[in-house]
Amino acid sequence: MDPFKNRQWVVILIIISVGLIFSFRLFYIQVINKDWSERAKQITSKTENIQPPRGFIYDRNNQLLVGAETIYDIYIHPSIIKLKDSSAICKLFNLSNNDFREIIKNASSGYNVPYKPSVFIESMTQQEHAKISPYLGQINSVFAKPKIDRGYPNPIAAHLLGYIRRIDENQFKNTKAQGDFFYTKNDFIGITGLEKEYELLLRGERGNINYLKDYAGNKIETVNKKPPKPGRSLYTTLDIELQKLGEKLMENKIGSIVAIEPSTGEVLAMVSAPSYNPSSLTGRDFSENFKIFKKNDSLKPLINRPVYNDKYRPGSIFKLVQALIALDDGVILPETGFSCNKNIIGCHNHERPDNLTKAIKHSCNPYFFQVYKRLIMKDNSKNVFQTSREGLAIWEQNIKTFGFGDPLGIDLPEEKSGFIPNVDFYDKWYGKKRWAFSTIYSNSIGEGEIGVSPIQMANLASIIANRGYYYTPHVIKKIANENILKKFKIKHRTCVDKKHFEVVVKAMNEVVNKGTGRNARIDSIEVCGKTGTVENKTFNDHSVFISFAPMDNPKIAIAVYVEYGTWGSKWAAPIASLMMESFIKGSLSKKSIEKVNQISQAVILNPNTDFK
Amino acid sequence: MKYRNLSIWRNIDKPLLIMYLLLSVIGYFIMYSSTFKGLNIQTDFWSANYGKQFVWIIITLFIGFFILLLDGSFIKNTAYFTYGFVLLLLILVLLMPPIKGARSWFYFSGFSIQPSEFIKLTLSLSIAKLLSDVGSRFQEFRTKLKAFFMIIIPALLIAVQPDPGTMLVFACFIFVLYREGLSGNFLLIGLFTVLIAVVGIFLKASNSVFHLAGNAISGNIFFGLILILGFIFSFIIIRYFVLPRYRKKKIQRLIIITLLGLSISGGINYVYDSVFSERHRTRFQIMFGIKEDRKGAGYNIYQALSAVGSGEGLGKGYLKGTLSNDKYKHVPEQNTDFIFCVLAEEWGFLGSFIFISLYLSTLIRMILIAERQRSKFTRIYGYCVSGILFFHFMINIAMVIGLAPVIGIPLPFFSKGGSAIFSFGLMVFILLRLDSERKVVLR
Ligand SMILES: [Zn+2]
Repeated sequence: MDPFKNRQWVVILIIISVGLIFSFRLFYIQVINKDWSERAKQITSKTENIQPPRGFIYDRNNQLLVGAETIYDIYIHPSIIKLKDSSAICKLFNLSNNDFREIIKNASSGYNVPYKPSVFIESMTQQEHAKISPYLGQINSVFAKPKIDRGYPNPIAAHLLGYIRRIDENQFKNTKAQGDFFYTKNDFIGITGLEKEYELLLRGERGNINYLKDYAGNKIETVNKKPPKPGRSLYTTLDIELQKLGEKLMENKIGSIVAIEPSTGEVLAMVSAPSYNPSSLTGRDFSENFKIFKKNDSLKPLINRPVYNDKYRPGSIFKLVQALIALDDGVILPETGFSCNKNIIGCHNHERPDNLTKAIKHSCNPYFFQVYKRLIMKDNSKNVFQTSREGLAIWEQNIKTFGFGDPLGIDLPEEKSGFIPNVDFYDKWYGKKRWAFSTIYSNSIGEGEIGVSPIQMANLASIIANRGYYYTPHVIKKIANENILKKFKIKHRTCVDKKHFEVVVKAMNEVVNKGTGRNARIDSIEVCGKTGTVENKTFNDHSVFISFAPMDNPKIAIAVYVEYGTWGSKWAAPIASLMMESFIKGSLSKKSIEKVNQISQAVILNPNTDFK
Repeated sequence: MKYRNLSIWRNIDKPLLIMYLLLSVIGYFIMYSSTFKGLNIQTDFWSANYGKQFVWIIITLFIGFFILLLDGSFIKNTAYFTYGFVLLLLILVLLMPPIKGARSWFYFSGFSIQPSEFIKLTLSLSIAKLLSDVGSRFQEFRTKLKAFFMIIIPALLIAVQPDPGTMLVFACFIFVLYREGLSGNFLLIGLFTVLIAVVGIFLKASNSVFHLAGNAISGNIFFGLILILGFIFSFIIIRYFVLPRYRKKKIQRLIIITLLGLSISGGINYVYDSVFSERHRTRFQIMFGIKEDRKGAGYNIYQALSAVGSGEGLGKGYLKGTLSNDKYKHVPEQNTDFIFCVLAEEWGFLGSFIFISLYLSTLIRMILIAERQRSKFTRIYGYCVSGILFFHFMINIAMVIGLAPVIGIPLPFFSKGGSAIFSFGLMVFILLRLDSERKVVLR
């Protein structure tokens, strides 16, 4: 009847075949081919690192030196800026229309996309943020995100603490090459000081979070979270009060102070002058300040002189070492006397040095010329060149037991070795058999080629205070309740027998009470010290003083080096004295406080080099 | 009255009713999941999208119940009137302010109406009436012409909106007309056209170059050459193997088909270069997998396929999708055109397969219902409803699973939108009503 009735089957067939095609296609993309499933994972899931907070740094009395400070990154979200917002933003951040357009352009191009917020002001300080925060609430498209930066509640010890900065391309590659995959390109890394030395402990362990995000990248659901392990805290041997005083005393000067607790080798204070405020190398100001410190400032404020500057000649303080070695060698006795013969080597007028104590007390140059001669020219039977060679070799060995000529091994980066001239050196310099005692005698009074760093000078004071041994000076006391510092518990003995020290200690006490170091006296404390005046051809001589106190059972050993300080007792001795008084007594007398102010105001710079 | 109700209930096609209700319920729950923002987010049910959808489903069922009480002849007699009325709305809607670039909606306070959703229903009734009226025979040219204009006028009005997806659905009437005696050649020509178009666009989109005797030839010219070669080859076959008395007719047809093929591929060449904008070209290139542009024009389909693919065999579980619901919103238009993503992601291949089976069974059930009618009107109407739903289904799913370029078109019973829920519901209820009268003689 209906000629087209069979056509229903064509239509039904078409419907079924479309169903089959769709089913096959779905079977392919859902079951067989896993690509789309993988792509879905890439679309939805995101893993983000969680930065561990960097460890804090404390002083020896658990006072905070380096902590955390909250700073703010300001974000802008271009796609939700309303018309009324833009004028408010311009007003709030003091932007011109062009600035604003530029900001929107930056926030929408390159890595940034308009539908996601991006940073447009980095590292705003808390004060700056406080000014704008009341207005931020009214603008949806701009917000502040807090982050943690280094904070310095006591802005001192910049050199010792060091600074951190964003890891650079080279460091990034190097750490990777060394199998250290901790860092991302946005991470900070310790560059100098303790920040560098204890980087591995301070940085902690990274955590991560894996979450599901929505189309705009917002975190919707956490899938997996590994919390970060915070960096360990460092407890240093530093004494905040002593450090502050030292920095104050060294204001307007160039040089170093190193104070050590002799019985442990703990560094109580380490001042490098000129210094800077450690917080000036954080946050947004970093690059600007860094440029000034590095390039524009002839005083080189970034150098940590106490460990880095090993070109200092020690001057007269070296006579103490000569005396000790000579006593131990038996080439002199405490009673040995020489005449102060100014024809050989210059001296000032003083009573006749008819024993060692008097020689040290007046720092007699001809006396120590004779002492050094006896040390080097032991065997008079051979020729003078050969004797000098042998004598110098033994002398070098002995000197080195006092921690000279090699890095001491302090836990700070870039410690320099200093220099003790030896046979090889003079062979190269003058040629073999072409030098003898008469060529090298200026070593006797700590001049010549000898180079010593301030930390080594302080260590010498510590050795004498201990009557013959030292512990490697160190800055770290404990690391978050864990003592891992075995190497700082090893007693290093000098070549000199303990019994020979007492006469030198007595002499050093004489120096302070009646000799060249009278500026270092402290009421009711027996102070031992030795002045040094290091020749300087360009300008005033350098002022050096090493000291320890009290004489019996010493609590503190100290070395002070003031460049261009004229002579040892002028600047270095009173500075050392004030430091020791403050540390031992816990406070300063009224008179001393006045003195501190006087000294800190005195400007001692070399007009020839420091103002270029 | 009571007796009448009972007889209607007895004669209603329960399988279709159940399938329809099943699709509506599944559709509602998928729609709910697609607008799901997370359990801890409190939204007022009635103001949420799924709340509105719920209201529309209830309204549809309620009105549907009244439709079951209507008289079949009343529906038939008012067909032209309703068609004319909605046609008028289609003209008026062009005066409305555009929403998302299209003038498709009348906006009243709180809700909107899309007349293009209703024209499908009224057009179906009108076509059924036109072709079933005593005295109008489909074989007559005049009837064909009337039917043609009846279809093409609303299609053009919708094209002006513009709403290419809905316009494309009007092509489904070719099935209806085919069933009523339109030459199968139209179906074949349609298939032929689609085939040549797909090959032609592919060659253009892929910028294919062929090498022939050392000369580089652009893909579409090569394609033209193949068509001509095919012609020569067929010509030779006809020339030597077909009895002379059929030869002339066959050769005529061959010439027509070849010319058609050449003009279509030439036309595509022109359209692709001159009419298409770069955006369109990119869409085709993405569809053919020639280009990956997952941030720009290919974003929708990349996200959609990822969502579908991540469903894998058994799916992530209801409300547990991580791409396609409103909580994550990785798939744009996830509660309208791309709603299938939600189902595919949360129910996997198994759910998708059951969904396809149920959906197409419903459509086949409608064909079977249409075929058992004594009334020509009901039969044609049944084909119309099945065809419209089939085209919606086909275009929508093909788009979501990357078999067709992105064309905005809702998935009936699933996509958000009151007008669509309501008008598709009415279509089914009217079919149920008309079918329930199948035993009454109605011509
Ligand atoms: Zn003298």
